[in-house]
Amino acid sequence: MAIIEINQNFGENTQLLAPFIIVIAIAWVFLVYYSYKKYGARMTLVYFLPIIIATLLIESAGVAGGRYYYPGYIVYLSVVGGAVPLIIVLAWSVNLFLFMNLGKYFISKVYHQKNFLQILLISLAAGIFGVCLDLLEDPIAHHNNWWIWEESLTGVKFFNVPILNFIGWFVLIFFICIVTLLIERSKFSENRKVLLSISSLAFTGLAIFMVHGILVKIFESLGLA
Amino acid sequence: MEKTIVQFILDNIFLFVPLGAAGIIATLVLYFLPKKVTSEVSEDLSTDFVTLLKVRLNIYVGVYFFVWLLIFIIGLLSDFLIPTIIGGIIASIPLFVLILFERKTSKSKGTGAHGDH
Repeated sequence: MAIIEINQNFGENTQLLAPFIIVIAIAWVFLVYYSYKKYGARMTLVYFLPIIIATLLIESAGVAGGRYYYPGYIVYLSVVGGAVPLIIVLAWSVNLFLFMNLGKYFISKVYHQKNFLQILLISLAAGIFGVCLDLLEDPIAHHNNWWIWEESLTGVKFFNVPILNFIGWFVLIFFICIVTLLIERSKFSENRKVLLSISSLAFTGLAIFMVHGILVKIFESLGLA
Repeated sequence: MEKTIVQFILDNIFLFVPLGAAGIIATLVLYFLPKKVTSEVSEDLSTDFVTLLKVRLNIYVGVYFFVWLLIFIIGLLSDFLIPTIIGGIIASIPLFVLILFERKTSKSKGTGAHGDH
């Protein structure tokens, strides 16, 4: 299977896909430009590149595992067997940068000390903000076929979206936010920060893998997933 | 049959283990190699504001509001009213919390400045 796939039938079997893509594209361009102006090129890579790589793997695994799929987009990327639209991967990078900075803004008002607890609180706030927005976005996405959850998935659902999706959102944003903030606040050179942000995905991935796996088991044992 | 992402990774463990091992080794090397100490990234959050129509707005709150509003409108246009309204209310909670805290802190700053005179 090719790494990049082009779909000739844009919007096929979907509704209002173009406005959704335009919203994400505007937010992405604006935030990448803002990050570049404020923090420079290398730190922008630290904020945006690791989450792009991580979500490309995770989303591709989700599609390859048959849990959901994305019809009607133009450019797809495929790394482990599942085709993921480019805009979805970019949307994830917007999510991390946006929610992390909202978390910083919020926590800076209630807890001023710059220590690991503040990083934890910022990541917690970022994860919660992310889930709040996804509770609006995901049901609309499923309804309009921007991405389609398999109907045979069991467990508790929020307007046809499995509850484990929201857990996944929280876990992913929470852990990547912690690592990004640790790297951001470290005293390494910016070049090393870029390399560390990519290589540390192995640790972040392991943490996400273990925590998400445990949560899936707990939810399954409670009959919620 | 559908698989969770965890199950998928376990099924393809021979792909993910070398990737993970390479990442862990690279991270340890990068972390423990003699390091060039530089200053930390500036975390001056006061620059993240713009003034629109005499209203001082945090840029990230503005982007969140932009995404929230347009997804909400798309949801309404999709004839998907109840989930859009319920989701819209939940997704607006961060906006309310952030605006509330901003107003509270700017008020207390104002009071503090007044008390200094």
